[in-house]
Amino acid sequence: MNRPARMHRLAFPLLAALALAAGCAQEQTRYGDAKGVETVNNQFGSTDLQMIAESMTRSMLQAPVIVAGNLPVVTVQEVKNKTSEYIDTRAITDSIRSEMQKGGKVRFAVDAPGMNPQIDEIKRQQGEYYAKEHAVEKGQMVGAQYRLEGNITSIVKQVRDTKDVYYKVNLQLWNIRNGLLEWSDEKEIRKTTTRG
Amino acid sequence: MRYAWTIVAVLLVAGCATKKGFEVPGQAFGCPIGDAKVSSMEDLVKLKVAMEGTRTTVVPTEMRCSKSGDLLKIDANLNNDSRSVKRISYKFRWIDREGMRAADEEAWKPLLMYENSNLVINTVSPTGKAADFRLILRSQE
Repeated sequence: MNRPARMHRLAFPLLAALALAAGCAQEQTRYGDAKGVETVNNQFGSTDLQMIAESMTRSMLQAPVIVAGNLPVVTVQEVKNKTSEYIDTRAITDSIRSEMQKGGKVRFAVDAPGMNPQIDEIKRQQGEYYAKEHAVEKGQMVGAQYRLEGNITSIVKQVRDTKDVYYKVNLQLWNIRNGLLEWSDEKEIRKTTTRG
Repeated sequence: MRYAWTIVAVLLVAGCATKKGFEVPGQAFGCPIGDAKVSSMEDLVKLKVAMEGTRTTVVPTEMRCSKSGDLLKIDANLNNDSRSVKRISYKFRWIDREGMRAADEEAWKPLLMYENSNLVINTVSPTGKAADFRLILRSQE
């Protein structure tokens, strides 16, 4: 039998075997631990987000303006992403806000992205379909006394089989009335990936 | 006069007999112990520390607490006396006065300990409802 003909006869069983193997390699989905340490790669991940939110919240709870016990009103502004990767910084501030709110020592005023939906709802309630006594009046919103802002930076170094990523998150709480910095803190994280 | 001196002497002895860290009933080194019998730092650490998952050879050796307003501040000293770097994760579990959970379960926090080293981890309770705590450790290896 010549070579092309022999190869032709082997091709079909080989393709059939490959198709069978691919069919047997089934995907499996399982629930994991949302609070577990995640080390899939060295990009910004869930554990980093959780550590930053917890560390910043616990630090802010000890700030004199918070400890004073007057339920200060805070608005959350932007946390700038100064890293080279995509990070949803809103997720960081949402986690901080959620934990601070549960602590019961701070109140949050609507932030800039939330203003349009807030105004739309107030305007909607001015319509003729709402009973005046049950509708929200315009001009009753409470302004924030403090604003929370910050940034996240990273330093990435790579040589041969080692990649080191260092993150630093800095948050500040500013007094809106007098422009004083009432609280500030940083959280550092280092992740190193080695091959082999 | 003789009896006055006797009373003063008894009071002095009573004062000296009190061990430092146990002056306040229900507390040891500033940490809440409830009705548990704690007479040393080792007892306190045994009471407050739990291991979950893979056990680690890193051991807490000291624990101290204080109040920051109505929040509980905790410092825990961890010791790695092995000759290798250890990777562990830890979290605190917060308990209220009724013995129920005072806050949501915390996320695990990774920690690297160099060989032959001590490291102090510190935290503050997330809410004034937290009256007690447990430090949970696990190995990441």
